[in-house]
Amino acid sequence: MRTMRKVAIIGVGITPFRARYLDKTYFELAYDATKLALEDANKNGAEINHNNLESTVYGIYNELFERQFMPDIFINSYIGMNNKPGTRIASGGATGGYTVRMAYSEVASGLSDLCLCLGVEKCNDCYDEQTGVTTPEVLNAIAYSADMTYEYPMGMMAASSYVSMVNAHYEEFGNPTEEQMAYVSVKNHGNAMLNPKSQAPMKVSVENVLNSRIICFPFKLLDCCLYSEASAALILANEEKVKELGVENPIWITGVGAANTDCFIGNREDMGRLYSNIYAAKAAYKMANLDYNNIKSQIDLAELHDAFSGQEVISYEELGFVPFGEGGPWIEKTFEKPGEGPWLNGELPCCPSGGLIGCGHAVGATGIMSTGEAALQLRGDAGKHQVSINKGRAISHSIGGPGAAYAAIIVMANEEGLKKP
Amino acid sequence: MSEEFKDHQIRDVIKINYKYTMGGQSKFFIELKNNKKLLGTKCKKCGKTWMPPRINCSDCYEPADWLELKQTGTIEVSTIVWYTTSAFIKAIPYGIGFIKLDGAETALLQGIFSENLVPSKIKKGKRVKAVFNKQRDGKMTDFFFVPEDEYDNWISKPEYEGGV
Repeated sequence: MRTMRKVAIIGVGITPFRARYLDKTYFELAYDATKLALEDANKNGAEINHNNLESTVYGIYNELFERQFMPDIFINSYIGMNNKPGTRIASGGATGGYTVRMAYSEVASGLSDLCLCLGVEKCNDCYDEQTGVTTPEVLNAIAYSADMTYEYPMGMMAASSYVSMVNAHYEEFGNPTEEQMAYVSVKNHGNAMLNPKSQAPMKVSVENVLNSRIICFPFKLLDCCLYSEASAALILANEEKVKELGVENPIWITGVGAANTDCFIGNREDMGRLYSNIYAAKAAYKMANLDYNNIKSQIDLAELHDAFSGQEVISYEELGFVPFGEGGPWIEKTFEKPGEGPWLNGELPCCPSGGLIGCGHAVGATGIMSTGEAALQLRGDAGKHQVSINKGRAISHSIGGPGAAYAAIIVMANEEGLKKP
Repeated sequence: MSEEFKDHQIRDVIKINYKYTMGGQSKFFIELKNNKKLLGTKCKKCGKTWMPPRINCSDCYEPADWLELKQTGTIEVSTIVWYTTSAFIKAIPYGIGFIKLDGAETALLQGIFSENLVPSKIKKGKRVKAVFNKQRDGKMTDFFFVPEDEYDNWISKPEYEGGV
């Protein structure tokens, strides 16, 4: 039934995630990630430069961050991609995952043989004059993503939107508790200590998290990701091109799944679920011939969208790692038990990069970073946070938008992972 | 390129003014402003009640009729915001939540005000009632919800009043 071509990630470029780059504009950051991805492709055996890239798919969430509408066309100029097709994707926090999906489509469909998948965001040029810091204005630039008629005027913002789902989940299942959410923060800040590109590497305790300042009940400061400036790029190629270029270690995209659930949380049948995650996961796993009910034993790692700690816990359930209602106990029971749970040495390491809480959240770049990180893991090139690769498969996960309505999931496999049942 | 980098930052702002039409939803805002009524819509075919109102049913692609809803409801989920956007930071802490009005099938996001703003006071299942600003502009900020047992206190304040 499917006539799509096989698509591989042949190069990964990720800039460090930082609070602020005073020495870079968004297009300069985008250039850096592109250059890093080309260098990585060279290292991976493909002798290519930017002139060989046939098209670009851009992941850029927010014009207000970039102080520029249609920022993609200015990047297109700066990275030397004039007179080639370029398409911009903007899907809230899921922009990165959706961008990978569309870049996959670009190559799978035969439109391009070599495609650049490039995400960038530079949020902290926003500045709040009344408080003399950036964050409230960054949050305001994001809050315009809420429905402007019914929800923005109520003071809705990212944390209050996500917390609604987490609180509804707690009302239904009695978890995640504040302690269980804190474990996610402990894990992801801790993992970030091994990732030199991370913005928030920290050894924190459960008590540190519980005692950090309240943001939005019950989320505390250390339950929340930081807003980052960064860029991430992938170079995608079709099978013929992979052979022609002699790519040593291609990472194949074997499944892409995406879904948008109702952006009005109040319209959802159950508020304690992100239906988009469930639909996206099932679609991605089905395409990759993996089993939703057995996924935990079929993949080596998951780079999840932990914008808020409690959301990661719920994602364990929605993505099929544990049954509904058992996300909180899964991380709590396995706290610091090697070989169990979502910990770095656990049965399914979640966010070995540190995720959004530890590495950072540069919105349009984030899902591309997560996908790139998972690809590097499958190549054995992740560095100090390398996890053990036995099945040869991994997933990346992106969510975002009002009520986290958007979701995109990418399944990847290395050469061995393609052959294993 | 060996010279030391020195950054240059500028102040700038993007500002757009609007005269935005509420389109098919206009009646909701007119009735809110003039008559303190909360109107939902009901699909002519499947009977689903939409709040916020939609003049078309997204489920069955049929038109929906206007329907006045009760001004009492139940909190489905809520939070208290302690850190927020530049536009709201002067208002912290504030409560918001999704409220299912009696007779509606979907829940509406609204501010939940309380004289004792603690999580237990505005948690799931608590009954709330709408309070209206005396000065209304035909916007969502014209009203908010309060716990039923605080209703009389709130409507006795000079700037607020009860509904119909």
